[in-house]
Amino acid sequence: MEKYEQLLNMLMDFNESVRFAAVSDAGGQLLWNSQRNGVSNIVPMEKTKTTMSRSRSEWDDYASSAEHIGNGMYSITSYAKIKRITIPLPDGKMLFISVNNKPMKNAKNTSYGHLVQMGEILSIVEFVESQNF
Amino acid sequence: MSRYEKLLHMLMDYDATIMFTAIGDTSGNILWNTIRDDSKVQIPLPEIKKTLVRESKDWISRCKIEDSDDLGRALYHIASFEKIKQVTIPLDAFHLLMVYVDNTPLKKTKTKSYGRYVEMGKIMSIVDFVNTFEE
Repeated sequence: MEKYEQLLNMLMDFNESVRFAAVSDAGGQLLWNSQRNGVSNIVPMEKTKTTMSRSRSEWDDYASSAEHIGNGMYSITSYAKIKRITIPLPDGKMLFISVNNKPMKNAKNTSYGHLVQMGEILSIVEFVESQNF
Repeated sequence: MSRYEKLLHMLMDYDATIMFTAIGDTSGNILWNTIRDDSKVQIPLPEIKKTLVRESKDWISRCKIEDSDDLGRALYHIASFEKIKQVTIPLDAFHLLMVYVDNTPLKKTKTKSYGRYVEMGKIMSIVDFVNTFEE
């Protein structure tokens, strides 16, 4: 199994709120993807591909500012129903994750969605990158 | 003082790791901004202006997605870099809030640090609170 396929499987196992995970190439084209069983698409796949391509070019833009702000680590775009996470990978590839963001039913105050454990996700990515597949 | 100027001051008072705040229009022009003088990370103003123009365009795309897809309200965007976290929040149809937060790891971190935690719930609640003010 290719290492990025392994990465997608590990992310799916890591947290049930992960709905969809995918890796794109440097041009933003989808290479591998994984969708949780029983979870239906909120967004059609073609639109997700467009979003991934746009996100990939955002990281290209950010790279021009690296001298001042450092290298890019991840991005989170939060909508009321989902969070979209992107992480730049080596060779221009990019990891894209869609996470459930619907508020918990028992939230007392206004909820702005679920906390995403980015430290855990980044450590999974680094672990997979360090392995020889 | 406009409510959005108050918002910038409230954010600066809320957390010392907030280094810079700005409110831009849909073209990315800075309308109001605040800078923390003793910030460790210095970002040139032209770089900030360039970023705000880019983020304004990106938010127009994201809001189109919000309209066309069933994702619910677009809340915020965080881009995390080694030195800073860049947070953008659409305030209304014409204004975008941009916040730079210091993201340099704390010195006493035992395990590998991926930067600092940003309390988006608190920041969003300040934004929602200020949005209840009448001009």
